[in-house]
Amino acid sequence: MAGTMNTTPCFIGPRMTVRGALLGEDDLVVEGRVEGSIAIAGHLVIAEGGVVESDIEVESVDIRGQVVGDVIASSSVTIHPGAQVHGNVRAPRVVIEDGAHFKGSVEMDVELPEGLARVRAR
Amino acid sequence: MAGTVIGRTIVIDGELAGDEALVVHGTIKGKIEVRQRVEVAADGVVEAVIAAPQVTVHGTVVGDIFASERADLRPESQVIGNIRAPRVLIADGAAFKGSVDMGG
Repeated sequence: MAGTMNTTPCFIGPRMTVRGALLGEDDLVVEGRVEGSIAIAGHLVIAEGGVVESDIEVESVDIRGQVVGDVIASSSVTIHPGAQVHGNVRAPRVVIEDGAHFKGSVEMDVELPEGLARVRAR
Repeated sequence: MAGTVIGRTIVIDGELAGDEALVVHGTIKGKIEVRQRVEVAADGVVEAVIAAPQVTVHGTVVGDIFASERADLRPESQVIGNIRAPRVLIADGAAFKGSVDMGG
């Protein structure tokens, strides 16, 4: 049978390619390749060797592999050493670690001090 | 290594291709083409053409199955589509609608 119903892991192995849209509510680990789009209400891990050429919308993501596309996370994005990311990143918390390769823009919610915010608004 | 696992809430609309075993608990629409065995678990739903050496179905498949070695429809499985494989097993309790071609 299917095993425990609410904790089925989702794993794209190193020799698997997904082309198209991937969506759902499970956590996902990508060691292989995804081309298309990823939209999951869960945690995404792009492992070392994993390649994602798609826009990503998740709760949180750990990137250790390669990403070409925009990354939007509702909680956090972590780009680890050795990762390569080419795209724009938007999340309340974005961490780029030493040794990570990143090209693109980062958008966090920045709350400027009141005086500075007024200057910026002008 | 267990190969690729598609979780229960995951929906893939597109194509899955590769050289490792695949277990589907979620939903795949489109096409599956792998060079290892494919298992559609009891909670899996596949609306796709499946091409693999061995295909085992516990869940639901709507689409054609091309298995170069064997296709195995287990009890409780529901399959609508055509099957081409040298060995085809349909277990008691399986629901199947389509044609079977064992070659020769």
